[in-house]
Amino acid sequence: MSQTATPASAPPPAAAPASAPTPATPAAAAAAAAQPGSSYVDTPALLNRWQLIGMSVVIVFGIVSALMQFVGWQSDGRAADDTEQLLRVQEVKTSLLRADALATNAFLEGGLEDPAQRKEYDDAIDGVLADIAAAAEAQPADREALAALNVEVTDYTTGVAQGRDNNRQNFPIGAEYLATASADLRASALPILDELVEANQQRAEDAMNGQHPVWLFLLGVVILAALVWLNRELARHFRRRINKGIAVAAAIVLVVTLVTVAGAWIRDSSNDSLREGEFATAVHEANARTAGNNAKAFESLRLIKRGSGSINEPRWELAAKDVADSGTRETGAWDAYTKVHQQIVELDDAGDWDQARKLAIEESGAAFQPFDDATRTAVEKNGAAATDDLRSGRWFALLLSGLTLLLGVAAGLSVARGIGERRREFS
Amino acid sequence: MMRIRVLTVTLTATAALLAACGYDATPLPEPQEAAASSAPPAATPVECDNATQSYSPANDKAAALKQLINKGRLVVGVSGDTYKMGFTDPTDGELKGFDVAFAQEIATALGVDLELRVILASDRIKMLDEGQIDMVARNMTVNCDRWTQVAFSSVYYNATQKVLVGTDEAAKYTGPASLAGKRVCAPTATTSVANIKKIEPDVIAVEAANHTGCLIKFQNSEVDAITGDDTVLAGLAAQDPYTAVPQQEKLTDEPYGLAFNKDDVALVKFANSVLDQMRADGRWAGIYDEWLKPTLKVDATPPAPVYGR
Repeated sequence: MSQTATPASAPPPAAAPASAPTPATPAAAAAAAAQPGSSYVDTPALLNRWQLIGMSVVIVFGIVSALMQFVGWQSDGRAADDTEQLLRVQEVKTSLLRADALATNAFLEGGLEDPAQRKEYDDAIDGVLADIAAAAEAQPADREALAALNVEVTDYTTGVAQGRDNNRQNFPIGAEYLATASADLRASALPILDELVEANQQRAEDAMNGQHPVWLFLLGVVILAALVWLNRELARHFRRRINKGIAVAAAIVLVVTLVTVAGAWIRDSSNDSLREGEFATAVHEANARTAGNNAKAFESLRLIKRGSGSINEPRWELAAKDVADSGTRETGAWDAYTKVHQQIVELDDAGDWDQARKLAIEESGAAFQPFDDATRTAVEKNGAAATDDLRSGRWFALLLSGLTLLLGVAAGLSVARGIGERRREFS
Repeated sequence: MMRIRVLTVTLTATAALLAACGYDATPLPEPQEAAASSAPPAATPVECDNATQSYSPANDKAAALKQLINKGRLVVGVSGDTYKMGFTDPTDGELKGFDVAFAQEIATALGVDLELRVILASDRIKMLDEGQIDMVARNMTVNCDRWTQVAFSSVYYNATQKVLVGTDEAAKYTGPASLAGKRVCAPTATTSVANIKKIEPDVIAVEAANHTGCLIKFQNSEVDAITGDDTVLAGLAAQDPYTAVPQQEKLTDEPYGLAFNKDDVALVKFANSVLDQMRADGRWAGIYDEWLKPTLKVDATPPAPVYGR
């Protein structure tokens, strides 16, 4: 029901001219409103509109702020999941190259395979297949690439098995099957893994940027400005300078903004240091381990294909450069292995292939093992630290998000109550 | 009405935000274009009438030793996968075979260590030319074209080019005409398929890095036949009971020579003298009996040397 404001029945509006004529009937009011320059104000309608604007503004604040916090909460969870997925695909890549290094070394030794080495190869492949299945389950966006990878891994293991079968019959075609499988692994499977690593690293880093303290701050400022404007408009029409309900709503908005901005800023800073710290270390060590195993396989391949040092040594050097460039902290263990490798190269280049092979079989593997173990441990430790950190305290962010929504509603009710008081005074 | 509109806008914004949280599918690597054949374009063959003619033998060890790349070491390029000719024995990882035995005889006669390097057929001339190896003992056919790039010893074995097919096709095989429309494999940078295509143009040529690579393609049903020297094909057939080298006319003669850098004439002359001794004292026959006779199943005599170059 609309009412007509009169100076007698309502506190004189601050901005409305005192001499405003008072239409006697709604029809007259409509006629007056239609006249240009009319000073007639439909106060109840105005109050309704302000109430609606005020409530909408703070409720939208509650929803948007809660949503931004929810997205931040989700981002941290996704960052943890993406980090796990990244380390999983890195592990697949490393395990495949480790399996290849083991297979090529077994062929280098000749005769029957060492059962322990065979078991290690089988375990590496089992790990690869389990990780591919887990990765496909964890990240649907990777499924197509993982399906293609699965085909390549199957082709690789088939090639190695055919090589092994022929080798047991003393047929040299066995070594060719192995060499073909090895070459195809690098030509077909590794590019897929490189794409998976790149995509998941990008996803993890993007997700770590999911906290938006600046947006939350700007949102709070805009909403507070709207409430200040609303209060000023009310003050212009009524005698009270501060509307209690709007003031309470503004206080809620201010406190929520301060708390959420602080929370998001802390989380954002924490993610930044994580990205430069444990996450980066896990990625670096995983890259180092992958490149190290790649180099180890090239060392065996140069000796299997006798005299192929000019082809395989540059490949070894490239992989060794990747280890050096990875930023690994396990340089001591790597250097210990490279010393043995250099001896192998010197022997092989000097024509003493038998001694080079002996060194490769008896010492190179043992020299490489500490590097492989140390980098694996570093990946596991730092990867777990990164994901644990990303998942820690998430309940608080979710709680705050829910609380923000409720406080937005409460602020809305406060605005309604504050403007309702004016309406009651008016009537 | 206004409230509903605000709510709708808010929900739409929420949906848009959540939709933006989805992941793009991980891209697959671009498929690489099939590598173009590394075989050089067919050049006009060099004609000559003395391809098998080598330098007259000389037992000047000192002159030969001076031409070695490394002092006290003869570096020889061999095959690592040509069963019975030059292959890595899976039982002990050692390189063995007919060609390897000849390399060992030359090194022993020179009184130096033998360093074997496994090389591809396509690298034979390049590695000699670049001074990476002293000699090639890798079933290398002597011909006029190659004489312009390397120097050959006298012929140490007379091979012939033939065709290997599946056992089910062996009885029906009558010659290159039987290969019309069939996929025939030969190593990259060899002239084997070209020899067949001269007779049967409808042959589909397929390349592999080496003959063992061709056998893998055959076992994976990627090719229907393999062509190459009878020595090599016999080694392939020995590794797969479902293959056979049927009775057939030889396609070409493939006289094998040990190859050297074309400037290492003293080394060639010394090798020729060693080969002469091996023909005369039965070492040639011993090597043949050990490595080739069990698979070729025929007796053979050493080829008569031709000198005068």
